[in-house]
Amino acid sequence: MAIYKRGYERYRGPLNGHWSRLLVLPRFAWQRLFQQRLVLVLMIASLIWPLLCGLFIYLSNRLDLLPSIPGDIKNMLNINGKFFLIFMNTQAVFSVMLAALAGPGLIAPDLSNNALPLYFSRPLTRLDYVVARMTTLVGLLSLVTWLPGLLLFWMQSGMAGWDWFTKYWYLGVAVFCGFAVWILVVSLVALACSAYVKWRIVAGGLVLGFFFILTGVAQMVNAVLRVDWGSLLNPTRSMYILWSAMLGEEPPPGPGVWACVAMLTAMAVILGLILERKLRAVEVIS
Amino acid sequence: MTITKVQVQQAWTIARIEMRRAFLSKRGLWVYLLALFPAVAFFGHGLQMKFMEERWSRNGLTQARVVDSFTKGEKVDEILKRAPNPSFDHEWTNRREDEGDRDDKDRKTQPEEPQRRRAISYYDGQRVIDLRFTNGVLVEKHVRFFRDPTDDRRVFAVIFQFFYLRLAIFFGCLGIFMNLFRGEMLDKTLHFWFLTPVRREVLLAGKYLAGLVASTVIFGGGALLGYAAMLWPNTGVDAQAFIAAAGWSHAFWYAAAATLGCLGYGSVFLAAGLLLKNPIIPAAVILLWESINNFLPAALQKLSVLYYLQSLCPESALIDEQQPLLRLLLAPAAPASKSLAVLGLVLVTALVLWAASRAVTRIEINYSTE
Amino acid sequence: MKGTEVIFEDVSKFYGEVLGVNKVTLHIPPGITSLVGPNGSGKTTLMNLMTGLIHPGRGSITVLGLSPRDPEQLMRVTGYATQFDSAPRWATGMEFVSTGLTLYGYSPTEARDRAWQALEQVGLTEAAGRKVAGYSKGMRQRVRLAQAIAHDPQVLVLDEPLNGLDPLVRAETISLFRRYAAEGRHVILSSHVLQEVDLISDQVILIANGMIVAEGEIRGVRDEMSEHPSQFIIRCRDASRIASLLFCEDHVTEIKMNDDRLGLLVLTRNREEFSRALTRIALAGHVIDGVIPSDESVDALYEYLIGGGRA
Repeated sequence: MAIYKRGYERYRGPLNGHWSRLLVLPRFAWQRLFQQRLVLVLMIASLIWPLLCGLFIYLSNRLDLLPSIPGDIKNMLNINGKFFLIFMNTQAVFSVMLAALAGPGLIAPDLSNNALPLYFSRPLTRLDYVVARMTTLVGLLSLVTWLPGLLLFWMQSGMAGWDWFTKYWYLGVAVFCGFAVWILVVSLVALACSAYVKWRIVAGGLVLGFFFILTGVAQMVNAVLRVDWGSLLNPTRSMYILWSAMLGEEPPPGPGVWACVAMLTAMAVILGLILERKLRAVEVIS
Repeated sequence: MTITKVQVQQAWTIARIEMRRAFLSKRGLWVYLLALFPAVAFFGHGLQMKFMEERWSRNGLTQARVVDSFTKGEKVDEILKRAPNPSFDHEWTNRREDEGDRDDKDRKTQPEEPQRRRAISYYDGQRVIDLRFTNGVLVEKHVRFFRDPTDDRRVFAVIFQFFYLRLAIFFGCLGIFMNLFRGEMLDKTLHFWFLTPVRREVLLAGKYLAGLVASTVIFGGGALLGYAAMLWPNTGVDAQAFIAAAGWSHAFWYAAAATLGCLGYGSVFLAAGLLLKNPIIPAAVILLWESINNFLPAALQKLSVLYYLQSLCPESALIDEQQPLLRLLLAPAAPASKSLAVLGLVLVTALVLWAASRAVTRIEINYSTE
Repeated sequence: MKGTEVIFEDVSKFYGEVLGVNKVTLHIPPGITSLVGPNGSGKTTLMNLMTGLIHPGRGSITVLGLSPRDPEQLMRVTGYATQFDSAPRWATGMEFVSTGLTLYGYSPTEARDRAWQALEQVGLTEAAGRKVAGYSKGMRQRVRLAQAIAHDPQVLVLDEPLNGLDPLVRAETISLFRRYAAEGRHVILSSHVLQEVDLISDQVILIANGMIVAEGEIRGVRDEMSEHPSQFIIRCRDASRIASLLFCEDHVTEIKMNDDRLGLLVLTRNREEFSRALTRIALAGHVIDGVIPSDESVDALYEYLIGGGRA
């Protein structure tokens, strides 16, 4: 019998660019996501509030169209940090719901169908995989967060003029950076939940539970220990405090901005570690 | 349908097998965290109280009539003369303007005059008296009870109703009971049960029993532990009198509410797991329903598990401070009598379990669509 | 009276708008019965229907006179090794088999003894203490088989039972099926390996597009297929002479001669006439070493009935 010794080597032929390889995953994921009716409905619903905000900006800059409105109410139609804080807060709720709907389907099916070896046997590292999955969510959530936020900012700048822009330029920066941090946190939560439970539908519940339960836990800590640092455990509250500071608004009573930043960073690190632990090409059964 | 001894044995066997999964599953560890968190928080609070009491008492107690005699405008020396051993004494110079002047934009621009500030606290065994001095004169006096069992009970009632019943038991039961059938469908292992000589209704009963025992032990136990941890640091006469008079009764009703919560939510989520492919959406709807319940007509209010559970709670839970997200969850319902609440919950559970038993006989193994 | 057959009466099953099986009427006697058909033809649907995992939209099914809707009775006489390649994460091989047995009323000790015997029969005792989730594909196949036979059922239903088994275990498994069949039990299996089906089946059920194409003993099915000429290989010393004699027969449609001129492949429309003709040739003094039917196999039936008759 002839014996053929074979040495196996990794593929050394030409490869596409790193990012073009990596973006294959989000491209297909976006296609699948937008085929889901519920995602589309939620996405459209998420854009209603920005539209109303746009209308508000228009009216606040065209007060001459509303001669019958009393003067003190006219004074309230100000576009400032408070306005964008309310806008961001509302869109944050929608982004959580979108992440709960779209996020779990990104990793859980790959894990439950043992598909990770297929990904990792291609020129794609674990980090690439996570970045690709996160890009999917970042793209999706951007559509309902900083993109409409910046559109509103530019709309106001256009209508209110250069003076307003030079005085409030930091609001645009705050909207972009504030939402960027929020998207990072929400995406990490969605991906970590998706990787942790392996079941798409349960992961969706876990994402919602994460935000609801941590809100309850934070309130409980504050109530039992008669403190206010418990709010740090609530990511939505921490983010609200951070946004308030970024938008130049008086932060609500409670922990300071840097404490919130530290807590959000710690949360992101823990979620990252969960992903690192769960996303392996092999599973060892003990 | 008559129930045979064999069927009872089978149901118990299934329950025992499933209990192991419910209690020891690694995926279910978060349920313990949810259930035990209030107990841990109250225990931490108790430890903090013990530690603080030791610290306050280190310099000895000050008589109550002495601390009551302090009035604003008094000089610090006079006060120290009457009560020479404060529990806490700290002095510093403040170069910033007063907190009350923060909004006064004009004063921010004026040069600041340094102020000598001093904070002194006394402890009379029950109360902590915080005194604030500016330039040697008493400007503020705050009196707070070091231990306030009434306030602790109020906090526990709030936590039990707004965290424990609405979130912890709700999500815990969601996890435990949905795992019983829907989880097995997702794991593609349900057919193993269907290929045993067991009626589907008996399988349902066994699995429900397992979920009920597990959730009751975890959440009922968690409620009792939390209650004990809340009472633990309150060693005063009032607290002891309360424990002797109503403590056991309150503990019983909290545990009963937790148990009946598991009974009710368990049946609902078990049925949802059988009837629906994606039970998370109905779970969100149920959460919303339970939250808006008290805005609905009285007849509709009674179609909520929370309505009955809150009626069982021994103390009402009204809180002032509410967060926007939490406000969605806070919706006090009109109370029912305890016997009606128990009966109502049992009837709702029986109705839902009957629907689930109809569904389980029709269920088919078709994992490809999961 | 308790029945002895597995009976499908006009059974149809649709998954929404997708056809599972349509108007199936079957009477499966004891012995080894193979369900043969291409992927998606409805083999697993039939097995799931007879074990109550799915319910028919129309028609009725009985297994030894028992309804699949009554698992309490049915599963005492039926064992089913499904093709779902999953197992509870917590279970070792022993726990996997013995846990189910406790629901049959066996004591824990009895359950363990029976589980051990079943694992012994499938050659899996060495791995009995390991988690099933860590088993190889073949081992998982065997442990499912062990679970199906552990309660000594009268009807053994096996979905692709030989998949993933190594040759040695495969042979042992086949002998286990034969032993069951010899005891008068039902062994109903599905397989893609037609040679094996041919080797072990007492009867076959050919299914395509959710409909039964043929059922019965392989020979009987072949006899019924008059539109396809039967093929025989004749080993003989004077092949050309015998070929010329056979060409005189009306029922012979085609003859091919082997390159070594010591054999013929004959296609005939009438097996009886062909048999008589061969007898006459032999009596006339021509030496015929052997006659072998070349298309009385599941393989050939499959090709004729399902694959378009390219055999």
